[in-house]
Amino acid sequence: MNIFLDKTGSSPLYRQIHNQIRDMILSGELPTGYRLPPERRLAESLGIARTTVINAYEELKSEGLVDARVGRGTVVSPLTRPIPDAEEGRSISWPHYFRDEGLRPPDPLVRNLLESASQPGVISFAIGLPSPTDLPLSLYEAASRAVLSEIGPLALLHAPTEGHMPFRETISRWLTKRGIICTPEEIIIVSGSQQGLHLSTRVFLNPGDTVVIEAPTYFGAMEAFRRAGARLLAIPADDDGMQVDILASLLRHHRPKLIYVQPSFQNPSGAVLSADRRQHLLRLAARYGIPILEDDTYAELRYEGAPLPSLKELDQAGLVMTLGTFSKILFPGLRLGWLAAPRQVIRQFALAKQIEDLHAGTPGQMVIERMIRNGDLDAHIATMRSVYRTQRDRMIAALDRHAVDGMTWHRPDGGFYVWCGLPRTVDRTRLNDRAAEERVSFLPSYPCFTDQPPVTHLRLNFSYPGIEQLEEGITRLTRAIRSSLTSREQVPERAQSATAPLV
Amino acid sequence: MSIDFAARMQVLKASDIREILKITQNRDIISFAGGLPAPELFPIEPLADLAARILREQGTIALQYSPSEGFPPLRKKIADRMNSVWKTSLAPDEILITTGSQQGLDLTGKLFLDEGDAILCESPSYLGAIMSFNAFGPRWVEVPTDDDGMQIGAVEEALRTDARVKFIYTIPSFQNPSGRTWSMERRRELVRLAGRYGVPIIEDNPYGELCFDGETPGMMQAMDEKGLVISLGTFSKIFCPGLRVAWIAAKREIISKYVILKQGADLHSSTFDQMLTDAYLATHDLDQDLVAKRRVYKERRNAMVRALEREVPPGVTFTRPRGGLFLWVVMPREIDARDLLHRCLERGVAFVPGATFFPFAEKKNTMRLNYSNMPIDRIEEGVRRLAAEMKAMMLDTAGVSVASHLTQPA
Repeated sequence: MNIFLDKTGSSPLYRQIHNQIRDMILSGELPTGYRLPPERRLAESLGIARTTVINAYEELKSEGLVDARVGRGTVVSPLTRPIPDAEEGRSISWPHYFRDEGLRPPDPLVRNLLESASQPGVISFAIGLPSPTDLPLSLYEAASRAVLSEIGPLALLHAPTEGHMPFRETISRWLTKRGIICTPEEIIIVSGSQQGLHLSTRVFLNPGDTVVIEAPTYFGAMEAFRRAGARLLAIPADDDGMQVDILASLLRHHRPKLIYVQPSFQNPSGAVLSADRRQHLLRLAARYGIPILEDDTYAELRYEGAPLPSLKELDQAGLVMTLGTFSKILFPGLRLGWLAAPRQVIRQFALAKQIEDLHAGTPGQMVIERMIRNGDLDAHIATMRSVYRTQRDRMIAALDRHAVDGMTWHRPDGGFYVWCGLPRTVDRTRLNDRAAEERVSFLPSYPCFTDQPPVTHLRLNFSYPGIEQLEEGITRLTRAIRSSLTSREQVPERAQSATAPLV
Repeated sequence: MSIDFAARMQVLKASDIREILKITQNRDIISFAGGLPAPELFPIEPLADLAARILREQGTIALQYSPSEGFPPLRKKIADRMNSVWKTSLAPDEILITTGSQQGLDLTGKLFLDEGDAILCESPSYLGAIMSFNAFGPRWVEVPTDDDGMQIGAVEEALRTDARVKFIYTIPSFQNPSGRTWSMERRRELVRLAGRYGVPIIEDNPYGELCFDGETPGMMQAMDEKGLVISLGTFSKIFCPGLRVAWIAAKREIISKYVILKQGADLHSSTFDQMLTDAYLATHDLDQDLVAKRRVYKERRNAMVRALEREVPPGVTFTRPRGGLFLWVVMPREIDARDLLHRCLERGVAFVPGATFFPFAEKKNTMRLNYSNMPIDRIEEGVRRLAAEMKAMMLDTAGVSVASHLTQPA
């Protein structure tokens, strides 16, 4: 039985002990008949007063979770369900049945972002969607017709859990062209990269395992790891990506189970992991035997310079798994992505995927397969690079023109986002109000960090708004920032920022 | 390098079915193994036209992100359809679209099951559910089941003595794998009992509408006044499986919990596949399609039952399902269906040995036969070969037991 006390926290110590033991009992971790440590011993091992432990045990007793008898100590009681006394019985008590994971309030972030984007009149820099006016619909339609007429009813039957084999073959050839050499058997099709992240937690993480992430990082990944009960070891990132030397020193004391990294055009910072750091990261991972989950979501969307080899391409030790998606380069609504990894890893993912949803939709796989094979996808990517380059430049130019003193930003070489620093004298609450009045939305930085610190940056997306909206949106945003400035530097107030409502 | 996977992965093994289905990809095999609908009944032409129309008229919506709960018009159609077919009173926001009903099972495990929690289930039960729930380390309580369903006395006994029963899992209509169907009275009794104890029922209903004989049996969800039934439905058996469109129907407060988990699992199901299903429901009469499906499946069931009656040796019994896709065969105790399968595969016939359908206490002398996927002449030929192997094996094992008896020391 492990108990962790936050002695600086606002919650009383006896309450913390009570809550943790209660959770362990309700989750079954402490089974019926389990004897809790004697009060004195627990108090000593936690370095606290014995009365604190007594108070916690009393609380558990009053809830009927434990029973204390002289000579037997404090023992976990059987979980009892009241026996019905009338034919009518009682109404069902759902919280008794749900697991903690189910009861945890949802993070409303994604939902709010999607909703804010669809508000009429709002210019949204908040979400990470491809340009809605440039989706290659007619190409999809042609490929879809061809699939249904050529393949017929089989296109509507089940596909293997790992994915439609010709699709895996085509992806393998397509990746090989990019330098990622993998066989079709080293690829599994997932129902969107969110599923890929989720499956990775299922395959790798026991509760309490440590996952290395970047700070900042993609909040969806962090949420997936948290739900799996993982501890997050956040490595600060700068303009060259994760500061791998910091990771190196931490690995002397930590044994992470997984390293999650976005080497190319990271979400949210747009940073690219430098060539040196890629090599260093791989050396570290190989030395300590830690698998790397390389999230390659934005790698294709490069607007400048030559591509750096992916971690997968550089990997000599067989420890890199690369997760890709068609959501940013084609269509998010199809929910199709892929994972390229050693075969023994693919096998585990397939076992987990089989019980999650059997397989990704069959016709969608066949249509995208065709679009890759006939060159539609590459042509579309080329088009979109130039569209997004223009949009990025428009946003940067607007920032150059309208920025308030103290704002910072870089021109990202690729991806979807400008990571924009705020002046230190911005009143964050006021900024939220002003931005809502101005009808412009953005992603504040707090959800991209493990401890949800006060907002220092905004993630501004330039792929989704129309080109004609970019300047107007930045004008509104900078107006909102300007009118949120105060005369002095804002002192961070952690508690408040953690609950700050999202625009 | 050696990779350190999560402890839970150790319980996940490649299933028998998965291995068998790989073999049956070979078209020459007469397969009674899968649970596939007859592909010749798929409405390919209309779907191609609808797909084109959706892309033309609503393409930007169809290929964008959409709500985790599902495409709103489809949720409404499902609620309406359930209310009309099953006499439930569901609102659209009591429907969550899932990526196949396998996801419904997985999310159910995630929502309810901590290690050591108990599930009451039929014996045998659905393999996909067993595998899904096993990932959460539950205890299975197999409830004695007769031709009318779970024995209510046994259910009550379990509820009374086991405080950690999290839900009752059942496929009351044309069950996979047994083909059995609960009586209406038994369903009412279970709903009443679950109400008294305040225990949820997971009513898995993929085959309910595939009824060939008599009246389509009603759903427990329609009998439930306390909101304790959570039902799983799917278009896989009544429309097309490859689109992966299925749903969970339950009270709002429960759906809202499922949504959280759905968001973490895959954000949402394919928007396009949902819209395609929605458009088909809006422009075509699914009930009319079902008439044709029922007719074809009934003929095939009849063919299989007749062939079994003609061919199988004495001592072999089988169910005669009123609907669905499967029937269940019980052989004499000494025959292991896995051994039989090996012999049958050599003769080009596949089926699923029954042992995998028991969470524990495997009954090795059982098998599941699917009749929906093969034309009648193949069914007859397949049963002939299967029965011939059965007879041969029964002779062999009889010979062995005689021989071992003779050589025993006096």
